[in-house]
Amino acid sequence: MPKKNMPHTTQTHSKLRYWFNGAYAVFEKDVRLELRSRYALNMLLMFIASTLFLVVVSLGNEVIGTRVQAALVWVILLFGSVIGLGRGFVSEVDQGTVLLLQLHTRGSMVYAGKLAFNIVLLFLLNVLALGAFLLLMNISVENLWQLALVLFLGTLGLSGTTTLLAAMIARTRNSGPLLAVLAFPLLIPLLMSVVAATNTILLNGGWERIQETCVTLVAFAGSVISASVLLFDYVWRE
Amino acid sequence: MCGGSDLAYNLGYGLSFSQSNMTLVVKRIKIGIAVWMTAVILAAFVLSAATKLPILEQTARNLYFHVPMWFTMMMAYFVSAYFAVQVLRTEDLVWDMKVVEATRIAMLFGVLGMLTGIVWSRFTWFLGTGKWWGSDPKQMMAAVQLLISGAYFVLRSALDNPRLRARISAVYTLFSVVSMIFLLYVLPRLTESLHPGTGGNPAFDKITDPTMRLVFYPAILGFFGIAWWLFDQRVRLARVEEDTEGFYIQ
Repeated sequence: MPKKNMPHTTQTHSKLRYWFNGAYAVFEKDVRLELRSRYALNMLLMFIASTLFLVVVSLGNEVIGTRVQAALVWVILLFGSVIGLGRGFVSEVDQGTVLLLQLHTRGSMVYAGKLAFNIVLLFLLNVLALGAFLLLMNISVENLWQLALVLFLGTLGLSGTTTLLAAMIARTRNSGPLLAVLAFPLLIPLLMSVVAATNTILLNGGWERIQETCVTLVAFAGSVISASVLLFDYVWRE
Repeated sequence: MCGGSDLAYNLGYGLSFSQSNMTLVVKRIKIGIAVWMTAVILAAFVLSAATKLPILEQTARNLYFHVPMWFTMMMAYFVSAYFAVQVLRTEDLVWDMKVVEATRIAMLFGVLGMLTGIVWSRFTWFLGTGKWWGSDPKQMMAAVQLLISGAYFVLRSALDNPRLRARISAVYTLFSVVSMIFLLYVLPRLTESLHPGTGGNPAFDKITDPTMRLVFYPAILGFFGIAWWLFDQRVRLARVEEDTEGFYIQ
């Protein structure tokens, strides 16, 4: 490699690393705080457990179709994630750490760190919730990996949408149920595709029919996250 | 003559001249819209609306009102997204005012279009079934659009600082556009539509005769004109409120 190219490459490399380190620091901070208090984790677990139990109790011994099963489980997951992820930025405001983050990191780092944390948290919880749902409703699924893939892609789109909205509601007064109002209309395309795919998997519909939905889900997550990256600075800066 | 009052007189004259000139043009356009829409409504009820489809019959006249209302709603929504971009670019609160009014008009025409659509579908598509709501893709899209507009106003009412409110709500409008585009793409693949031109239904120009199109296209223009008229009035009202109250309410 010619010598004169060296500074340039090392510089871009270190810039990337600088950015990545910042994002990772935000992510690590959130994980540590979560492990210390376990607030979001416990609350979400309890929320999902009690909602699932409510569903089981109110259904009784009624046998419901796969479409209703898919719709029920995704509505529960949607509510759970909106309740759990709403705290992400509100807690920064409550603890008075917003200014610190604004001074030490760039907006995109904060967004990336928070997004990564939300994806990990939500995916863990969604796996637990879906597992509990399948168990309680006595549903056996043959293509578990397909279900896991749809669940993961759905989680990606879900956290991509809610992370920016969570940053928005952190700027408002009494921001309790506001996130649900803001997020649900935007999540309708995601919900429709994800419920259709889950229904197909429960019916053993075959990979070809799920493939298209998976592409749609990837595209949804991709465009929502890129739009968030573009818009995040307007929400984050004073 | 006192210099001060002379200056004020000149300034006032200059302002009122340019203002009255502008108002005159706007006024003439508005009279034009009123005449135009009157002609469209008359034509909608007087001209023959013969369609070859049995159940549709005379209800086909709803085409002149229902469909332009949808177009106006979508137009107002995308115009509001354009204004939202301007809010983020310039941080000027005048643009924020315009986003609000455009969203309000999108909501108004959305509700009107939904009402005319629900009544129409009840007595054509769902004749004899007693159904009022069938999850038709276009119906769903309009409903989602109304939900987004509603959420937009809820978000605004939760923010106190005018600059922050302008910025955050503009971000929400733009973010919702991404989702709407996906809805446009996803819906036709997952649900079937009874609307013409989609899902194997005959296209719009196959089932309407030329007389209907003679009224339909002017009706679209007329509804756009009415929407612009309303928008202009609302924005001017908001400006007057800002001048008299010292701040802009919502």
